[in-house]
Amino acid sequence: MVVKVYSTPTCPYCNMVKDFLKKNNIEFEEIDVSTNHTAAHEMIEKSGQMGVPVTDINGKIIVGYNVPALKEALEKK
Amino acid sequence: MYDVIIIGAGPAGLSAGIYTSRRGMKSLIISKGFSEQVTSTPEIYNYPGYLKIKGFELILKMEEQARNSGIEIILEEVEEVKERGKNFILKTVNNEYGCKTLILASGKTPRNLSVPGEKKLTGKGISYCVTCDGPLFKDKIVAVVGGGNSALDAATYMAGIAKKVYLIHRRDQFRGFESMIEKVKKHKNVEFVLNSVVVEFKGDMFLKSLTVENVNSKEKKELEVNGCFIEIGSEVKTDFVKHLVKIDENNHIKINNNCETSHPGIFAAGDVTNTPFKQIVVAAGEGAKAGLNAYNYIHGIKSKIIIDWKKGK
Repeated sequence: MVVKVYSTPTCPYCNMVKDFLKKNNIEFEEIDVSTNHTAAHEMIEKSGQMGVPVTDINGKIIVGYNVPALKEALEKK
Repeated sequence: MYDVIIIGAGPAGLSAGIYTSRRGMKSLIISKGFSEQVTSTPEIYNYPGYLKIKGFELILKMEEQARNSGIEIILEEVEEVKERGKNFILKTVNNEYGCKTLILASGKTPRNLSVPGEKKLTGKGISYCVTCDGPLFKDKIVAVVGGGNSALDAATYMAGIAKKVYLIHRRDQFRGFESMIEKVKKHKNVEFVLNSVVVEFKGDMFLKSLTVENVNSKEKKELEVNGCFIEIGSEVKTDFVKHLVKIDENNHIKINNNCETSHPGIFAAGDVTNTPFKQIVVAAGEGAKAGLNAYNYIHGIKSKIIIDWKKGK
């Protein structure tokens, strides 16, 4: 399973997503879109919007801190 | 059919949910998201039990506690509340939920401009959280709307990231601190657009431009921008329940000491009410009261105190 979290260091909802994943022992790649602009583009393209956090779980895109959606995507694999 | 539906997932709503679930009530929280006000507070020093805690951490703890008590949490926006006999029907964009009692705890939400294009382009260039989404606009052109400290702060922050920042304000003077105004003025890439209001946002997939109107001359001008941060304070949104409960002149829901509204079966707690102190601990306390009174309402108990603890272990 590949999990990527596109976030910025100052965003509280990003921290909530990361905290949720850590608590559930899910390994993830943290991508800081404030410094990595290629990744920022990639995130906007994938999610069709410009807000963080965006979580990519095996290609399933979840915008914001949305536990039911995160769980559903994680359980699929 | 739920015994209780709570609108809002901040300290008031989550606390209410902890109490109703622990009482065995079939409980649901519906909220757009988790308290923006608390999550965006860097450090909290006045919530008992924590010497110091980050806002988002406190909300996460409350959420975990509420979920452990057995509550369901759904992230949707309630658009309409209707009565059906003694029950209530809540409508969101895609769903309908029914309940016997209702607790209103939606707190404050960032104020929006309510102009064409705003809703459609929110998250697509328009944002209400500069610390979250600001870094995505490196070397882009953005606008900040507002005249208070949060707008000045946002403009200063964005001046260090974006290529150009328009600071749009409807008056010719700012309401913020003098020191903050001076700070903004130091940035060469900030252009002041004063006595002006945004009347429209344009763009298909993403924000492309916005139209400002001068409040005196009524002259309109289009500014090309990639992003726009709206920093015009927060407000309580009670329009969707106005036909059911009494509202005061500031749009707050009127409640009594038992967190009862003017409508039987509807309770309210926290910042959405006319309670004077807008504090996390006050909201949590009121949420508990609303939850317990919702329980009493269903069981026909008149404000009797019921024991909620067990002797020994």
